[in-house]
Amino acid sequence: MPGRVRETPLKNPDRPYLAIGLEGSANKFGAGVIKHFVDGSTAVLSNVRHTYITPPGEGFQPRFTALHHREWALKIINDCLAEVGVSMHDVDCICYTKGPGMGAPLQSVALVARTLSLLFDKPLVGVNHCVGHIEMGREITGAQNPVVLYVSGGNTQVIAYSRQCYRIFGETLDIAIGNCLDRFARVINLSNDPAPGYNIEQEAKKGKRLLPIPYTTKGMDVSFSGILTSVEGYTFDKRFRADGQPQNPNDEDIITPADLCFSLQETIYAMLVEITERAMAHIGSKEVLIVGGVGSNLRLQEMMGIMAEERGGKVFAMDERYCIDNGIMIAHAGLLSFRMGFDTPLLKSTCTQRFRTDEVHISWRA
Amino acid sequence: MTSPSLTLISTSTLISQGAEAKVYKAHLTADPSDAPILLKHRFRKGYRHPTLDGSITRTRVAGEARALLKCLRSGVNVPGVRMVDASEGILGIEWIDGQSVRKLLPGGAGEDDEEQEEDDQIDLLQEYDISVEILMQLIGQEIAKMHLADVIHGDLTTSNMMLRHPSTFKSCHATLRTELVLIDFGLSYHSSLVEDKAVDLYVLERAFTSTHPDAEPLFASAMQAYEQRMGKEWAAIGRRLDDVRLRGRKRSMVG
Repeated sequence: MPGRVRETPLKNPDRPYLAIGLEGSANKFGAGVIKHFVDGSTAVLSNVRHTYITPPGEGFQPRFTALHHREWALKIINDCLAEVGVSMHDVDCICYTKGPGMGAPLQSVALVARTLSLLFDKPLVGVNHCVGHIEMGREITGAQNPVVLYVSGGNTQVIAYSRQCYRIFGETLDIAIGNCLDRFARVINLSNDPAPGYNIEQEAKKGKRLLPIPYTTKGMDVSFSGILTSVEGYTFDKRFRADGQPQNPNDEDIITPADLCFSLQETIYAMLVEITERAMAHIGSKEVLIVGGVGSNLRLQEMMGIMAEERGGKVFAMDERYCIDNGIMIAHAGLLSFRMGFDTPLLKSTCTQRFRTDEVHISWRA
Repeated sequence: MTSPSLTLISTSTLISQGAEAKVYKAHLTADPSDAPILLKHRFRKGYRHPTLDGSITRTRVAGEARALLKCLRSGVNVPGVRMVDASEGILGIEWIDGQSVRKLLPGGAGEDDEEQEEDDQIDLLQEYDISVEILMQLIGQEIAKMHLADVIHGDLTTSNMMLRHPSTFKSCHATLRTELVLIDFGLSYHSSLVEDKAVDLYVLERAFTSTHPDAEPLFASAMQAYEQRMGKEWAAIGRRLDDVRLRGRKRSMVG
């Protein structure tokens, strides 16, 4: 909330701190090194990521994603350290994603983290993935106390900070927005490279026709599964042309894949902006921060910008380096809690698929 | 040519900008001693596609007016309807002189100045001559009345409830000098389903816990009043509410 800023419990460090973060809760494996300086500033030293890309029409399955992470983990960690020119001996703590995410990929990453921790005798810090996104967003954009819209393949939440906790104001009642986009991309056979959502965004630019799709906001919550079914339904419509071309010159009343992408984006992003606006009005905040993979969508950022402007507020967004899952955000959030005296003992260094944003005690904020 | 309702807006004073509408204080007649009305203008949202925006605005304004009328007929305390212009997105309702319930509860006024805020709260409670317990009961009762009329509010929060100011309200109650009014029916609809009523309560519960972190036990006393008023209908709704609480993603499934 705007106004008086209370004193932060996080003291400036007595010496520079270095942390490595490992992330692999979904189809990306990422490693990053962050440094916190004595004056309280931070620097991103390296941020390496590799994405497991499946052929069009297929999603990533837990088993193969975990396999991908196991194959790439060592190379990425080595690249990441080499880029900075430090060795594992120099870092203060090893941060890894504790959850939420897909079970098998999380386990592979936790295993790597545990092994490194034993090998180099470094403390482990388990990090909540969502908190990682939020803290990284605040660090990169400089937003003080924004309403956070966290949109990705596995999460859709509107979050606001209150009393050392990120409280969830609104969230999806069924599937996440990114999941809805990914699955729709599979229906119309769009490529998964670099990301299905990115290709939908490009396709949507060619769309002209806004088709009626359910608009399912419920208070501050949203629902996407019915929308997905409804857009999928249009692909069985007799006006649908999978190649996007009219069959003959008189074939005017047609629906193209581009139109579907356009309608889908316009509808679901409008819903997200609406619930974000509702949360802003409710708590009286003027800042919005968009984090998560879907947050790199320019149309969503644009719509959010218009809304913020109408309210006299400001939107903070980032590019794909920090929006999409990365190791650096885990390192940053992990180091914040490490500096507050938190670490995860080896026996408790588990991971969990279900780990809500509001379960974490945000000890480093006032 | 601008429509008469837009002309009316141009002559009225902007009070605030809510979640989706601008709120104005206006006078329908030239006589300033006449009771003012509240105009709620769902202005065009630049971020939404014009077609989508138009249809959403029209349905919401018409739906809100319909729900208010239904509540009024069933004796639920809501503001009276004064004018409707669905195509412009304007709804005129009774002006309620009073205070939002959110301001009367701990944590409601924001977190800038906690001590100051707590004083204000107590002052307000005294001004309205009401205790937090009674306030919770009123909330429970009013929602129950609304649900018995098969109206689902859709956005129950403490910001969407008001207390009438004792100085301008004539109470027919012996000890109570104010009245709780439910406002903002922008997301409301008609339903007799147990599911919808339970979700409505769940929305309120979430709003309570996210706005008033220490007021969680208070919600329980509001629910108690609700339960009494609903009578035999409560059993099914209560059971469904427990189910609804388990929804949402990534909850730990222990126990």
